[in-house]
Amino acid sequence: MSGLGNRICRRGGWQRLVLLLSSGLFCAAALAAPGDSFTLQGFGTLGAVRTTSDHVEFVRDLSQARGATDAWTGKTDSALGLQANWQVNPQWQAVAQVLSRYRFDRTFHPELAWAFVKFEPSPNLSLRAGRLGTEFFMLADSRWVGYSFLTVRPPGDYFWHLPFYSIHGADASLAVPLGEGVMRGKVFYGQSRGNIPLADEQWDIRRSPMIGGYLEYQLGGLQLRGSYANIRFRNDLPLAPVLAKENNIALPAAAAQYLKTRDTRTHYYSLGLVYDKGPFQAQLMLNHIDQGTRALSDSNAGYLLLGYRIGKVTPFVGYSRVRSSERPKPSLGDPLSNLVAAYVIEDSHSDQKTIFAGARWDVARNVALKAQWDGIRGDSSSLFPYRRDDRARWDGRMDVFSVSLDFVF
Amino acid sequence: MRRLFFRIALIVLTGLAGVAHAELVVVVNARSGVAAMTRNEVINVFFGRNRQFFNGIEAMPVDLDDAHPKRAQFYKMLVGKDLSEINAYWSRQVFTGRMQAPPRLASTEEVIKWVAANPGGIGFVELSRADARVRVVYELKR
Repeated sequence: MSGLGNRICRRGGWQRLVLLLSSGLFCAAALAAPGDSFTLQGFGTLGAVRTTSDHVEFVRDLSQARGATDAWTGKTDSALGLQANWQVNPQWQAVAQVLSRYRFDRTFHPELAWAFVKFEPSPNLSLRAGRLGTEFFMLADSRWVGYSFLTVRPPGDYFWHLPFYSIHGADASLAVPLGEGVMRGKVFYGQSRGNIPLADEQWDIRRSPMIGGYLEYQLGGLQLRGSYANIRFRNDLPLAPVLAKENNIALPAAAAQYLKTRDTRTHYYSLGLVYDKGPFQAQLMLNHIDQGTRALSDSNAGYLLLGYRIGKVTPFVGYSRVRSSERPKPSLGDPLSNLVAAYVIEDSHSDQKTIFAGARWDVARNVALKAQWDGIRGDSSSLFPYRRDDRARWDGRMDVFSVSLDFVF
Repeated sequence: MRRLFFRIALIVLTGLAGVAHAELVVVVNARSGVAAMTRNEVINVFFGRNRQFFNGIEAMPVDLDDAHPKRAQFYKMLVGKDLSEINAYWSRQVFTGRMQAPPRLASTEEVIKWVAANPGGIGFVELSRADARVRVVYELKR
């Protein structure tokens, strides 16, 4: 064991921690007596989706390299997660989750989604450190747990531009009873993980520092939350190789400088209101994204979701909207730089609304079947949400049909 | 004679009604110092939002197995939700790493024992089961 420990310790900082944690968890699994404080739980989704357009590919969020077209695909929404919890004592806990889902490199390669230790010095104060899910928009850290929500996938116009899932860092949350309700606050800081695919290239967002927090108040069936986060990107978008490969253009230096993302900071603001009582549930979420780079557009988005349970079936309807603001036309020294910069900026534009309707049917204990229609009605300039857009033929309108089987175990 | 008949009928009928929906109550450990709770305070504890009583004692809620009929009745009366919705709520809490659901026991007798054994214990049982080991802090009304 000490040999393994030495080998682990020679590796890089965070890798080391994660390895230690997971090996610790597996040791715990071996040691824990049956019915003891070690638990293994899982969740999964089998989903199929198709659209009515082959001019763009529809993705769940920008962390996916390829998406759905007018042929059914199981890649977009299917996922399988396995989580181990080890309650060491009432104050200390270790958690690791492995998740397999379609991702940036076009595989279902399982990854360690979270691995952290949690310390609770008092019942309402929680401190965590390790690889953590980021909850910088409400429900953002449970986006792959289909069983936990009503729709087939989190409303796209609100969530697809959030490819960030986890950080290497720490968070602290505190709950304080206030009146008959509970006020809860959380702050987190860490370095982001992951890649965001751009054509055949990857935008490496690893080690980009991220900080944020939220404040929420819950009273009975009502929950109100405001949140803020920012990220400072460590790397530039891989524009040069993408343009060279896709358009056969060399990225001019002036355009590269104009479009840099390195050392720019993006701010995320959001407001969420959830009302969940009896058979009725409603969610209203609004966000604003303030981009530090000229390569990406600022945007406003929001959605409203209403559901009403009748027996085992919960029909729902919703409306979502995303719109990015117009960027001023680049005025660089040479015409080619202007052209290239304008082309890249166009690619980060979104302007669309989606009406969606569907139903969740709780067929058996811990199993739900869902079906959903999304009517996307947007402008032909709305390119940012998609992959592989054919700009000449995309008219901004399509329908998306989805079915899924969600379960927990 | 007629009055006696009516009184017996009344007693039998109320008895039957009592069996049909045996009243559920929330009980805490008799030494916890908690005397009464509001519906929202009960919700806060059973959904893990608040894990401390007003006097600082850690609230340790205990639940019943999914198959136990009183579990469905409890959540129906407390928040109007089906068990699938309660389980969906807990799957979000568990898989975001925020918290684990309260332990689940097989019978309300075990709940009473558990509550009596833990200073911060809190559970729900039929009113008829609540004895001196526990204190009733909230009655669920339809």
